[in-house]
Amino acid sequence: MADGLINLTIDGAPVSVPPGTLVIEAAKQAGVLVPHYCYHPGLPVAGVCRMCLVEIEKAPKLAIACATTVTEGMVVKTQTAPAKDARQGVLEFLLINHPLDCPICDQAGECELQDFVFQEGQARTRYAEFAKRFNPVEDFGPDVLYVPNRCILCTRCVRFMDDVAKEPVLNVSERGDRAFIGIHPEARLDHPWAGNVVDLCPVGSLLSKDFLHKARAWELDKTASICTGCSQGCNITLDTRDEVVVRVRPRPNLEVNRYFICDHGRMHYKWMNRGDRIEAPLVRRDGELKATDWDEALARVQGILRGASGKAVALVSAGASSEALALVKRLLSGFSWTGAFQIVMGEEAPLAGVPNLALRAERAPNAKGAENLGYTREYTQALETAKSAAVVLVLDDSECAVQTNGALIYLGTVLGEDAACRSAEVILPIANVAEEEGTFTNRDGRDQRYYQAKPAPGMAQPAAWVLSELINAMGLAVAAR
Amino acid sequence: MSTVHDTTEYQPVFVGKVMEELQTVLPRYPNKQAALLPALWIAQREHGWISDHIMAEVAEVLGLTPAYVKGVVTFYTMYHQHPVGKNFVQVCTTSPCNICGAEDVLKALLSQTGAGDAGATSADGKWTIVEVECLGACGFPTPVIVNDDFIDGVTPEKVADIVKKYR
Amino acid sequence: MGYPHKPHPKETVVLSQYFGDADARTYKGWVKRGGYEALSQALKMEPNAVTDIVKESGLRGRGGAGFPTGLKWTFMPKEKKKAHYLCVNADESEPGTFKDREIMRWTPHALLEGTAIAAHAIRAEVAYIYIRGEFTEPWTIMSRALEDANAAGVFGGIKVYLHRGAGAYICGEETALMNSIEGKRGNPRIKPPFPAAAGLFGLPTTINNVETLAAVPHIIKRGAAWYKGLCLSNPKSTGTKLFSVCGHVQRPGNYELTLGFPLKNLLYDMCGGAPQGRTIKACIPGGSSVPILTREESEATLLDYEGVVAAGSMLGSGGVIVFDDSADMVYQIMRLARFYAHESCAQCTQCREGTAWTTKIMERILAGQGKTKDLDLLLDLSENMTGKTICVLSDSCAAPIVSGIKKFRGEFEAYLAGKKQPVMVG
Repeated sequence: MADGLINLTIDGAPVSVPPGTLVIEAAKQAGVLVPHYCYHPGLPVAGVCRMCLVEIEKAPKLAIACATTVTEGMVVKTQTAPAKDARQGVLEFLLINHPLDCPICDQAGECELQDFVFQEGQARTRYAEFAKRFNPVEDFGPDVLYVPNRCILCTRCVRFMDDVAKEPVLNVSERGDRAFIGIHPEARLDHPWAGNVVDLCPVGSLLSKDFLHKARAWELDKTASICTGCSQGCNITLDTRDEVVVRVRPRPNLEVNRYFICDHGRMHYKWMNRGDRIEAPLVRRDGELKATDWDEALARVQGILRGASGKAVALVSAGASSEALALVKRLLSGFSWTGAFQIVMGEEAPLAGVPNLALRAERAPNAKGAENLGYTREYTQALETAKSAAVVLVLDDSECAVQTNGALIYLGTVLGEDAACRSAEVILPIANVAEEEGTFTNRDGRDQRYYQAKPAPGMAQPAAWVLSELINAMGLAVAAR
Repeated sequence: MSTVHDTTEYQPVFVGKVMEELQTVLPRYPNKQAALLPALWIAQREHGWISDHIMAEVAEVLGLTPAYVKGVVTFYTMYHQHPVGKNFVQVCTTSPCNICGAEDVLKALLSQTGAGDAGATSADGKWTIVEVECLGACGFPTPVIVNDDFIDGVTPEKVADIVKKYR
Repeated sequence: MGYPHKPHPKETVVLSQYFGDADARTYKGWVKRGGYEALSQALKMEPNAVTDIVKESGLRGRGGAGFPTGLKWTFMPKEKKKAHYLCVNADESEPGTFKDREIMRWTPHALLEGTAIAAHAIRAEVAYIYIRGEFTEPWTIMSRALEDANAAGVFGGIKVYLHRGAGAYICGEETALMNSIEGKRGNPRIKPPFPAAAGLFGLPTTINNVETLAAVPHIIKRGAAWYKGLCLSNPKSTGTKLFSVCGHVQRPGNYELTLGFPLKNLLYDMCGGAPQGRTIKACIPGGSSVPILTREESEATLLDYEGVVAAGSMLGSGGVIVFDDSADMVYQIMRLARFYAHESCAQCTQCREGTAWTTKIMERILAGQGKTKDLDLLLDLSENMTGKTICVLSDSCAAPIVSGIKKFRGEFEAYLAGKKQPVMVG
């Protein structure tokens, strides 16, 4: 214990962890996943499901790994007969009232009850002659449905609302096998972070109405991404089915969002599937916008840039990647450059039980990245400057109401019929956050990467590609060192 | 899982003397949450049963959420979650009393009061009779509690007098 | 005292001396009988000195666990850094047990005195007496006694409060009791932490049973050696115990006996054996949560902690439930299983589902629809329910099942073979 670590053995593998570590966490170091339900690293320990019972040498009874702290020289065994029998017992007890809903249950394929039953449960039930307990489905609020029949009373949802959201709106009601998760009739589960109970639920008892019956878990492709709902930079997973984003889930990051995302971010994905996209580059010919190919479009932009001098204004979205923002600046490096963005603000909604985690007032993911690169929030001034600028480049800001005597170049995903930027010389279709790889800098200055979850529609390309092509063509690339 | 709602307009319980009474209880505990069980007893005494409105009022008075209070109320069997008859009768039928004829006492009470089934309220609203677990009077079978009166040694023969006394 | 009967000559009357004596309930009456002398003596002593006496006496927890009381008190921090609490467990709900109610009904001041001495010994400034909600008469009597004791100023600085339960057997478990006082669902807590480290409101706490504390003033007054001397068998089991005898005996009631007393003598000499014309068939010696003994086993049992273990059961709460040959063991075991199913708090999977499943199987056997493999199923479920949960309610449901099937298998098989009239259970 010279380095302050505790040494123990788990299933024969030596493990060294800091004092105070729970056996269930120490086991991860040995590559051992101790089956469990009620335990969750983001919640206070409950010790109620009894699934994580393990054998500890010299201890008179099996102990729950989620509530046992490591001691020097401890020998833990998870695969001995008593431990496996205990787990099989728990699984059998859980299944006697659990309905055989797998064919219609959203959780199938990502269900911890299925997983452990397959891994070490029994193939048949001994509870054949009795009726299962029945309670009707309950609507808990904005996005959450509660299916009491499937509930295994792990109480993760109650502990989340009590201790992490700090709004005790869920309870355990009744006693014994009559128990269920309750909510007071006058209350709704509308806390800004309540949707996390759906992720936390190990089975299909708490369900998202938004995701209800939308897709099967095994049909989903999962891609790591960063939420674009605000500047917190929560790590997320985009679940896509047939190249459509169908769900957002949190990705654990202990430094940023721990295990959670807010409901605003959770629902903030439908726009990624918009059908009304700009699908081809457009150039103005004879006063009208005409679809063309990338070669002509890029050549037109080059022509504009080479033929102009003086002021250039870049009006950008605070949701554009840092790469794209940097490249815009580089592209316009021959001009007297002003860069600005406008940002939608909303009400902040903290997750009370986690320090430095909230739905932030700034409803965009990369304001900090933009600021680090020299863009400012002086948007109105920039609009003023743009009027007499030689070149105005708008990056993914479809609401931009700019008017200019100079050349307007628009890079974006959508452009409404009446949008001001319809007067642009060139319109270039770009990928949205789900269709490219890039970097956002969150409000704490953390650079985080997001990845491509689905292909961009039509001829759209990542903004960073478009801008690099232009930069290379114009010989503005930074020389390799 | 349905809850029975008050249909009359809600009259708060914790006002005047009742609130004063609660104020004497609060200092016994280092926080308000610990006064929950005593507060619920007071509320049930005043209101007859613990409705969703009562739960919300108690929650507000003690700085808790209604959902939390409901979780506690539904745990303890002595808090009534729906109205009960004028006489609430508890009959023990756990094994020590069971082998001494407790079920016959229960049957006698159910039939002689007109309550019919255990848990139901008689048509005249005067009786609700429930089967309960061990009342801690096993040497004096069968114990029966009528409202707050704990009666030892009830036999089917004694039921008629009890019914007469409390009716 | 086989109260309501007069004390039997073979009883050792200590706690039950004033059972039935209404004057002893009053403050003045209690003082007249030498009450509160022990408390004023103890308050003049160092807390550790009080604990030493109780430790020396061999007093063990009378609620069911039998843990040495003095030793339990030593777990409390010796240095007073935070508030300490004493909780008195008057939740008496173990089927077959009815002793604490008599102590509270007849000698409320004995309990108050013992509470205050214990609070002093563990340096607690506040004591809560948790009385089950159904004990309306003990509540009234204890309230009055507490008022009088407070008015007389006997407690020194110690504050004693009554806290009323609301119908939950599980609140007799010490950690569930603390949660109940805190205004929560009566869920037992995982240990560690242990109450002496972090108990009520997260602070060092000791929980003691009513009968345990009622013995304390006697021990202080008459000395540890006297209490230790009250021993008929194993020296680790000293003092007297109130045995609550109920069921099929001619004279049910509370009998105060020196530990080590033969169960046979209690059943026959003192309680008169089974009613006329019937014979004792089975006996549960320590409340329904301990294994059932056959008549033969009971007749060979000495009533102390070690003696009952040697006989294959446990002393527990000392609630002696007697079944004669007219009792249907299968039905009664079903009724006990149903008790545990009603009282399960719902935290642990094995208990929540297992107690209900066990009850359902038992009901089906009684209804004439059981199969032979049901007995193996019951035993297997009982094993899955034993030693794997936060508290022992789950194990307690298994105890009558396992011992019942083992020792009264014939009665089960009679139902399985269709030889008994089916019983439809509601």
